[in-house]
Amino acid sequence: MLIRTTLFAAALAAVLSAPARAADPGITDSEITIGLFAPMSGPLAAFGLDALQAAKMWYEETNKKGGIHGRKIKVIVEDDKCVPNEAVAVVKKFITVDKTFIVHGGSCTPAAVAAQEFVTREKVPHVMLNASGDGAVIPPTRYVFGAFAGTQRTVGASLAEFAVKELKGKRVAIIAHDDDFGVANSTTFKAVATALGAQVVAAELISPRVTDVTAPLLTIRASNPDVIVSTAYPAPAVLIGQKYGEFAMMKTPLVQAIQGIPVPSVYAKNVGNDAALANFYYGSPLNDLTEGPKQQKWLALYKQYYPDRQPSGFMTYGLPSAMAVTRALEKAGKNVTRENFIDAMETLNFESEVIAGPTAFAKDRRDGARSSIFVKFDGKTHTLMPGVYTWDGKAGM
Amino acid sequence: MSPLLLQGVASGIVTGCVYALIALSLVIVYKSSDVINFAGGEMVMLGGYLGMFALLWLGLPYILIFPFAALVIFVIGALFDRVVLTRVVGRAVPGQSILVAMIIGTVGLSYVLKGAVRVIPYTEEVRRLPPFSSGAPIFIGPVVLQHQDIAIVVAAVAIMAALWAFFSFTLIGKALRATSQNPRAAALVGIPVRLMSMTAWGLAAALAGVAGILLAPKLLITPDMGVIVILALAAAIIGGFVSLPGCVAGGIVLGVVQNLIGLYVSSRAISLAPFLVIMIVLLLRPQGLFAGKAVAKKV
Amino acid sequence: MYGAPPLSRLALLAPLLIAGFVLPLLLPQYFLYLGNFLMMFAVLALGLDLLLGWAGQFAFAHIAFFGIGTYATALLQIRLGVPFVIGMPLAALLAGLIGLAIGFPATRLRTVYLALATFAFAEAAQWVFNAWDKVTGGPDGLRIAAPSIFGYRVGTDPTAFPVLAIILALMIVATMYLTTSKLGRAMCAIRESEHVASASGIDVRATKAWAFAISAMYAGVAGGMYTLFQSFVNPDTFGFGQIVLLLSMIVVGGLGSIPGALIGVALLGLLPEVMRTTMRGLLIWQELVYGLILIGAVMFMPRGIWGFIAGRRGSR
Repeated sequence: MLIRTTLFAAALAAVLSAPARAADPGITDSEITIGLFAPMSGPLAAFGLDALQAAKMWYEETNKKGGIHGRKIKVIVEDDKCVPNEAVAVVKKFITVDKTFIVHGGSCTPAAVAAQEFVTREKVPHVMLNASGDGAVIPPTRYVFGAFAGTQRTVGASLAEFAVKELKGKRVAIIAHDDDFGVANSTTFKAVATALGAQVVAAELISPRVTDVTAPLLTIRASNPDVIVSTAYPAPAVLIGQKYGEFAMMKTPLVQAIQGIPVPSVYAKNVGNDAALANFYYGSPLNDLTEGPKQQKWLALYKQYYPDRQPSGFMTYGLPSAMAVTRALEKAGKNVTRENFIDAMETLNFESEVIAGPTAFAKDRRDGARSSIFVKFDGKTHTLMPGVYTWDGKAGM
Repeated sequence: MSPLLLQGVASGIVTGCVYALIALSLVIVYKSSDVINFAGGEMVMLGGYLGMFALLWLGLPYILIFPFAALVIFVIGALFDRVVLTRVVGRAVPGQSILVAMIIGTVGLSYVLKGAVRVIPYTEEVRRLPPFSSGAPIFIGPVVLQHQDIAIVVAAVAIMAALWAFFSFTLIGKALRATSQNPRAAALVGIPVRLMSMTAWGLAAALAGVAGILLAPKLLITPDMGVIVILALAAAIIGGFVSLPGCVAGGIVLGVVQNLIGLYVSSRAISLAPFLVIMIVLLLRPQGLFAGKAVAKKV
Repeated sequence: MYGAPPLSRLALLAPLLIAGFVLPLLLPQYFLYLGNFLMMFAVLALGLDLLLGWAGQFAFAHIAFFGIGTYATALLQIRLGVPFVIGMPLAALLAGLIGLAIGFPATRLRTVYLALATFAFAEAAQWVFNAWDKVTGGPDGLRIAAPSIFGYRVGTDPTAFPVLAIILALMIVATMYLTTSKLGRAMCAIRESEHVASASGIDVRATKAWAFAISAMYAGVAGGMYTLFQSFVNPDTFGFGQIVLLLSMIVVGGLGSIPGALIGVALLGLLPEVMRTTMRGLLIWQELVYGLILIGAVMFMPRGIWGFIAGRRGSR
């Protein structure tokens, strides 16, 4: 009799819990499986590897504190090399072979865009890692969340606002790359600067492989700007800094976006001429200097997890997305499904203690962060400029 | 000429000398083994890193990092020829071009070199070798140049002269030329053809490595900087691909043309310039801009 | 060997077609995706092999024609509403015409010069895909709408798989016919010796130009196949790394043979997936290992894998 009751109870329990389980793979009473990916090899590994390890660290910390609603997080890691077709392969492997509950990853926008159609069709939430993700979050779609350190529109908009409001630019110039980053940067920059009443006197697009920036800088100099901004990547950013110094353009402020100056001390060393940095600023989506007091606890924690690894400047960028995932899982409750996980994601609005502004989503918003700070840097000392510059979510659309 | 134009030309000449040095390396390889060395850019990259490691980690004086890097890369180049290419050529299938296999071999080498450098965490950040000579910028009229720029031009000229002297006056140089023109006849008169091919590869590789040290302070080094080989190819083609002085002229023409396009067309078109140049020159003047007669075909 | 290939060889395609219809019922989408990728690359490789392995012309432009085919098929559908069954042949034709236009002047060039000219063309084409953003979407890439074929909606891996299998089978048949045709023989003759070929009455220039055009059409077809199972394309898809991969595939597999091209595609196409899953913790070494594999292949298998297999069978 007792046995029969127990069996019946077990069967009933199985029937009751079955629908949720059958609908959404990758989740059991004791475990949630998350597929985590980033470039871990190839040219862009420095951009993704540490961010991925930081996200993994956050999940392990969460597990140490007992997990979420009694479930531990299990992470499966893959390398997409930032190649769109490989990212699609990885995402398809996660969803159809490993059967993960959600997909978390991507350090490059094209990779995220390439995977978007599939995750949407399969109705699997995709939370990006540290990709700026413009193309995948604008326009917003239900299953894809990203831009945890801001879109490239945020970069362009905050540069324009800083150049016009703080540096009092009336005639501003931008030098950007001819890729997805640069096009988003320069479009938004032009829109915001114009809206604020400044004139964009030069907008130069250069190849990321450029070997001589004499021509674009001469063009910019000839346009006689009072602020120059650059959103170039590290190597071209240094070339720009050097030429700017050579042509003695220091009375015009130069503002560099974060993608070109992951480690400011290395940048200064590479420019090799501190006089060139007399009037130099850089933007950052973080809440502090890369090694500033507010970032220290993350750096210390990372050291504890990965003692042999000297993190790149992009390490902490991986944290807010993992925080968003654990918060949404928490909020969605014990009976979390992919759909109510998304509903929970949409209501998030929290301070990550990593980046400058809040991390927030809404029904019609899929880019998590919109704020930047600016730092004056003379080659040795960093001085935080006052204020946080925030994209309004409209300019440059 | 406007100051803008003068600066663009001066700067183009300096960058062009860098292209020319790499182009010289490609042409030496081509003359010796009829193959395009797609690992040429990676040899440049390796030279830059070796120079940097020797300077910063081994503490060698600056002047010694040139022979150090040159020697290491000479060995790599010579070994690649001896171990890989000799085998590929020796096992050639009749009727099938071995060019493809050889080129894939060099592409393989480029991945190996890039991959070997990339596993060193230090290379994750963009690095710059301290300049060979530094100081306040030099003004020539309205044109401003850096000490390193002058050093690059001087070095390019010196290397050119040294190569010319080497190929004209030394026994090895003459033997190399003989082998390149007719390997069978060279073998008949007792020139060790295989050794000559190794020497040519080593020499070309060392040249690329030295170019790497020269340009590392100017262009910075990353494991992916090898793409610069494209510009060197364009320079070599302008010069006719078999002529050493042609290369130097070709490099300078390319450097200047890129800046002129950047100034008067658009910055975006700069990266298109080398490809257009390659296509136009090959279709209209396959012998290069500076050669008088058509390229002699080797039998 | 002149004329049609024997029926027994055509029958070898039956397993491909059966697999095309059965595997979608059995395998997870990840494997179907890889399969689709391989089938697309197989068509690319067959086309490149015609030019390189059969006609002996070393050209780098193949990846540009692939890009032209992809963008043309996708844009014809998105912008003009041209259905796939018309759009893809049009795109292939366009690729073929541009191939012909490139082929004629390029036939004046030999060996390294041809390689360099076509390499420059491929890079310039990639620049155009990137800079012509009003049409191609530029660096932001282009989203591809799911095509339908006579009402059968494609666009996912399981639905595209049988279609790709059919296209691949047709292209293999076409290659069999082509290589045993008069043109195919002429191509081989040119590869062996242009002087002998022209002495025996073969129009060398015309044959080369045809080889260019046909090879480009294969790439255009492969571009159309891309739009069947991918939802996004950006200019990075058509870079130098891809043409190196493609060249390596046919060299490793064995030049101038259909099975060789297919073997090379399967091996090198799966290599990234294999390396990623077997080299855990050593991911950063992938590039080095890939380079060593390329060097090893040209060193130890001059005739490619198929040449090796066929050679052993022959010697028995």
